[in-house]
Amino acid sequence: MITPFRSARLRSVNRPALLALTGAGLFLASLDAYVVVTALLPMLTSVHIAVNRPEQATPIITGFLLGYLAVMPIAGGLSDRFGRIRIFAACLALFAFGSFLTASAPSLSQLVTGRLLQGAGGGALVPAVLALAADLYPAGDRSPVLGAVSALQEIGSVLGPLWGGLVTASSVGWTWIFWLNIPAAAAIIWALWPEIQSRREERRPTKLDWVGALLATAGLALLTLALYAANPEQSPVGAGFLWQAPLSVLFFAAFVWYERHASQPLINVRRFRDSSFSGSALTNAIAGAGLMVALVYIPVLANAVFSMNASGSALLLVRLMLGIPIGALLGGWLAYRLRSYRLVAALGLVLAAVGFLMLSGWTEGSLKPHLIGPLTLADGELFLTGLGLGIEIAPVSAALLDAVGEAERGAGASFLIVMRLVGMLVGFSLVAGFGLWEFHRATAHLLPPLPGLNPNFAAQFAFYTLKVKQAIFDQYHLIFRATAIALLVGAAVAAATLRPLARPRWQ
Amino acid sequence: MRAAWRPRVVVAGLTLVMALTACGPQPPDGATLLTQSSQRMLDLKGFHFQMQITGFTGPAEPVQSAQGDAHPPDLHAKVNLKEGGVLLEVEVIFNSDKIYLKSFTGGWQELTAAQVAQFFDARLLFDPQAGLFAAMRDTTAPYRGNSEKINGHDTYPVDGVLQGPRVHQLLPLIRDQGSYRATYWIETPSNNLWRARVTGNLFDASQAATIVFDFSNHDHPVSVSPPPLG
Repeated sequence: MITPFRSARLRSVNRPALLALTGAGLFLASLDAYVVVTALLPMLTSVHIAVNRPEQATPIITGFLLGYLAVMPIAGGLSDRFGRIRIFAACLALFAFGSFLTASAPSLSQLVTGRLLQGAGGGALVPAVLALAADLYPAGDRSPVLGAVSALQEIGSVLGPLWGGLVTASSVGWTWIFWLNIPAAAAIIWALWPEIQSRREERRPTKLDWVGALLATAGLALLTLALYAANPEQSPVGAGFLWQAPLSVLFFAAFVWYERHASQPLINVRRFRDSSFSGSALTNAIAGAGLMVALVYIPVLANAVFSMNASGSALLLVRLMLGIPIGALLGGWLAYRLRSYRLVAALGLVLAAVGFLMLSGWTEGSLKPHLIGPLTLADGELFLTGLGLGIEIAPVSAALLDAVGEAERGAGASFLIVMRLVGMLVGFSLVAGFGLWEFHRATAHLLPPLPGLNPNFAAQFAFYTLKVKQAIFDQYHLIFRATAIALLVGAAVAAATLRPLARPRWQ
Repeated sequence: MRAAWRPRVVVAGLTLVMALTACGPQPPDGATLLTQSSQRMLDLKGFHFQMQITGFTGPAEPVQSAQGDAHPPDLHAKVNLKEGGVLLEVEVIFNSDKIYLKSFTGGWQELTAAQVAQFFDARLLFDPQAGLFAAMRDTTAPYRGNSEKINGHDTYPVDGVLQGPRVHQLLPLIRDQGSYRATYWIETPSNNLWRARVTGNLFDASQAATIVFDFSNHDHPVSVSPPPLG
């Protein structure tokens, strides 16, 4: 929600300094979005959870996303009411507190609470900083600044897994990913202190759609619970799925009904009748799910079957992450040259699907054969997947923003982020549950050999390890193939629904 | 005249209150608490337990923690083992002299006596002669401390000393030399044991470790049945 204030005072302050400080806070929070993907195993071990119960790591990831989604829709309105910098500082402090809980967690429940608060604090920073940037610069000069803020957020999330992997593999251990947030956040808040204290920051009484935000959050929280397979040996979804899933649908229905009648809704739900709008929203969610699957499962695969440590798996993931910004630039340029969103979006998603299909064919030897110089075929496959996921970003985002029009552009931009995160949350929950369920199904009759008076133990154990690795590979092949199919569905949706670019005209 | 009465009433009231507090039921001394609680725990129809080992355990002691339900000698527990820096969870069932294991993959398998010796025999922990509850009576120099809340229950901690050979009986991986410090948190008048802790150089002559047992669901009937194999 970007509703800039025309404040003479704010424009008189040191704009670059203010933007740099808030941007640094945003960067810090965006680093932590996916930072855990390369640190999951040591995190589990330090809260005494066995590696053969990986389902317990799911809430470490979904907790952050849920916290992020809960505050994002209302953070813009809160910053209208209480002041941008104050809300920014309060949320950065919340993020730091969440980091403290995460780093010092003796138990899984505290770890997940910490991640939830980190997400809630971090999620509020995006709309607050975007709105601040819009306040500081007049309409004509604004877009490069808003672009830079969004880019900072994207770069942070891309660097997160690498940062997490390097810290985890170092001698200080994973907790320092989170300990370091505290002095950094404190330094930013200290530097902003004169601005926070000055009572002159502009505020505007805004009507906040609390009911809408609560209904949507309750629906999402219930859906996350319903899809959380706490016991994947028995069921690919949660034990309470049969009542939680319908209840969450009920909450979403209530949300839509309420938003239709609210005076200042979070999202104009009538837009969903426009197929270009709902199509781009759906495509965006599917692409988010695809990215999340790659982010989580490539490091886990690297660790479980290629025996890489955290920094090794982070470096493997970098090959994919590198493709995303390159693809994003390429996708924007292609859409402009070809004057077609649907073609370029579908192209990106098909490329990503092909990438996932290639990844799904990986075997134990896949990282070895060299293609050109030090590059392997696996490097190319990872890069292609990232490139495809990047190409789709610009046309899908632009199609949605075109569909909402000038007046709702801010709400549209928030909605894009929300849909992407919803896709990540739902996609990852489904994949985690069904993947582990499939693994247990495949190994249901695979008994490990036992030592003690067993002369063939070593040989039997080697055979057993081979079988387990095979089952892990089978699980990944299934997950990557399912993701490829989802991305192809996304490509079809994009091809069928996205409207072409509007003719450029002066407004 | 009436005003002069007031201080006297207040003083009398205060004296009464103080007298009542002082005459409240006195908790038994440490040794009595230990004997009564030991008997209570041995008589239970079932309970839930959680065991956590911290400090130096070394390569010889893979068990890090365990939790489950027991009606000794039967019990059903999930056990966390540390193998090469990695935590792994297994599930065990002890049922009428038979032992079953559910490992990382696959279903339940029955273990032979030789295989059980490789792990630790969890039945010993709550054995009526060798186990923890019997060891409560063998704790020397018991000293009762001030009331403490454990998991929401008012308990009295009783501190004492257990000899190495005695602790070695209930967990054979523990060194049978020297002596260890034991603390029991006992609720009165139910005599329920809520927590027990043994500290000392349990697994190495020069490095300390601690075992904490937490109990709950006292006297909730526990019945353990043999699992389906395969």
